[in-house]
Amino acid sequence: MRRFLARNAPGYMFLLPWLLGFFLLALGPILASLYLSFTRYDMVSAPRWTGFGNYVYMFTRDRRFWKAIDVTFSYVAMAVPARLIMALGVAMLLDKGLRTISLYRAIFYLPSLLGSSIAIAILWRQLFSGDGAVNQLLAMVGIQGPSWITDPNTSLYTLVVLAMWQFGSPMLIFLAGLRAIPRDLYEAAEIDGTPRWRQFLRITLPLLAPVIFFNLVLQTIDAFKTFSSVFIISHGNGAPADSLLFYTVYLFNEAFKFFRMGYASALAWVLLIIIAAFTALAFLSSKYWVHYENDRD
Amino acid sequence: MELTRRSLLGTMGALAATTALPAVPAMAADRTIRHFWWGNPNRDKRTFAVIDVFQKHHPDIKVSGETIGWGDYWTKMATQTAGGNMADLVQMDYRYLFEYVRRGALKPLDEYVGKTLNIADFDPGPLSGGQVDGKLYALNIGSNSQVLVYNKKAFEDAGVDVDVINWTRDDLPKVCEKITSASGGKMKGSDDLSTAVDVMEIWVRQNGREFYDADGNIAATEEDVATFWQYWAELRKAGVVADKDRTVILSPPLGESGIVSGATAMSQYWSNQLVGIQALMKDPIGAAMIPHKKDAPYGQFIKPSMFMSLTRDAKDIDAAIMYMNDWVNDPETIDILGLERGIPCSPKVREALMPKLTETEKASIDYFNAIQDHVGKLPPPQPKGAGEVYDTFMRTASDVVLGNIEPAEAAGQFIQDAQDIVDRAR
Repeated sequence: MRRFLARNAPGYMFLLPWLLGFFLLALGPILASLYLSFTRYDMVSAPRWTGFGNYVYMFTRDRRFWKAIDVTFSYVAMAVPARLIMALGVAMLLDKGLRTISLYRAIFYLPSLLGSSIAIAILWRQLFSGDGAVNQLLAMVGIQGPSWITDPNTSLYTLVVLAMWQFGSPMLIFLAGLRAIPRDLYEAAEIDGTPRWRQFLRITLPLLAPVIFFNLVLQTIDAFKTFSSVFIISHGNGAPADSLLFYTVYLFNEAFKFFRMGYASALAWVLLIIIAAFTALAFLSSKYWVHYENDRD
Repeated sequence: MELTRRSLLGTMGALAATTALPAVPAMAADRTIRHFWWGNPNRDKRTFAVIDVFQKHHPDIKVSGETIGWGDYWTKMATQTAGGNMADLVQMDYRYLFEYVRRGALKPLDEYVGKTLNIADFDPGPLSGGQVDGKLYALNIGSNSQVLVYNKKAFEDAGVDVDVINWTRDDLPKVCEKITSASGGKMKGSDDLSTAVDVMEIWVRQNGREFYDADGNIAATEEDVATFWQYWAELRKAGVVADKDRTVILSPPLGESGIVSGATAMSQYWSNQLVGIQALMKDPIGAAMIPHKKDAPYGQFIKPSMFMSLTRDAKDIDAAIMYMNDWVNDPETIDILGLERGIPCSPKVREALMPKLTETEKASIDYFNAIQDHVGKLPPPQPKGAGEVYDTFMRTASDVVLGNIEPAEAAGQFIQDAQDIVDRAR
């Protein structure tokens, strides 16, 4: 015990602020929300116990819940791969050509810092509106674009583009991963005359697998939780015609617009379970495609 | 340092004491009240000027004003309600009044009336609109009616000559067509009002029904809603109302609305907004009634809409009531406010204002006088969940506008959903 403490005490000291924050600030609300998810609670009068009522309603009667699931899953399925491919692409460019120029890394990272900001969401709404910059560019080459944001057929894609553009943080992690791949492997491949794309498939991807896995899990969780940009772009209600009814936006509306705090809590717990399931799935599947350096011996 | 349980508790206690100390004298010296309203640039400017006047009269009371547009107002209000930090005084709307009162978020004013709150000379009708279950929860600071704001210049240019107080549902398409063709399609006749809940409500009343009955059930029929959407669908098909892209942006800011941006010659608003809209436009605007149904009951109504309510979380109630009192009685305040929030409830105030009105304000008084005999009675209070029903209406309507669903089918779905919502909210 004493040895354990002596060895790990510094670690726990570093964790202390987080642990304090968690136990003092987060744990209470989390338990409260679990309780509330079994009640009807309008924030003013006292909660009324309804058992599994909220969950039953959600799965059997609530059409908008399924719509929100549909929208969110579509988004995650498109945005996560799009962002990761973009991030890996840029990371490889930076790794090859501009190795010493850290300025570029900062510049490429910038959209990610701005990405969740309200200003960018508003900018996005302007860019993709009927007479926005995107359509003006298209008009120059003679294409009459739709009003991307207000057309339910295209509105979700504008969010995917926004997600792609915020490739900064996975890109930095990829970059670190790429730098860790021993150069001599590529040199050996060069000598053997292996084409570039084969090098990518046989050296880069396998050795990068742990990093890809890490990014995949993180970005998936992130994508499920997308909120502020959608909230602004969809005018807070999933407009047009619920095509941007992200799970989080629906949850927010139920809680803060329609005073159904109990139901919203139930929604939040279901989202937690969904995210947990996806993460578990990723970890289970990782056995088959992620190999770590120290597995080899 | 040796850390024992006692010394830890002692430190925490001392910390708490030091943080609490400075607050005590500050509270005694400064009284503060918070006032939260939904606004637009013009209204905000006036309201902050009123706050300055109040603070000049009462140097010991600090008023902090918070404002946000209508679209976000109710979300923020709900958040504050949940967090137990509502402003002391909030602007309230007839549509949400019952919902908030029934959730216990507002305090009744009755015990202050005649003492600190002087409303003896008020018109009884508009004043009683602020009552719920026999108690006064909301002080009327302006009455309102629906209005179809139109671009006077566009009407003249297109040679439209129509009695906008007495016109009917059959006249509107003709006017829209004239304007659209006169401008070569550049300016459409009207916004597409398919998603406009207020206009739909009038339509239902013109058919002889209320949208909600006295028990809070949906009294409107599928037929009512389907014909309403059908009516606008035909105008859309004829290309004389705003494009669908514009319509599905629900409640855009004033500056991007059809009439202000010049995309259309008519938009639907509430009569107190005339002042704000004119402030954003070069072309003069006029006020029309929502077209009537021939040989049918009147659908429009005059409602008390701008209310000021005292909230459950108000601390310095005396100061808050003093502030309310100034709003409806203080001459300087009344001058600043003008008619921007609607027609005041006190005849004395209206009289005092008369000589100082601008053209638009005069026009809105004229409009108010003109419609007096063309309106129905105030609809019954709305049930819990009414806010969500309206959201559902706009959502279903945008599906219709986008052509995803036929009006008749959508109407059936909407009526069903609406009844479900009010049932669930009970």
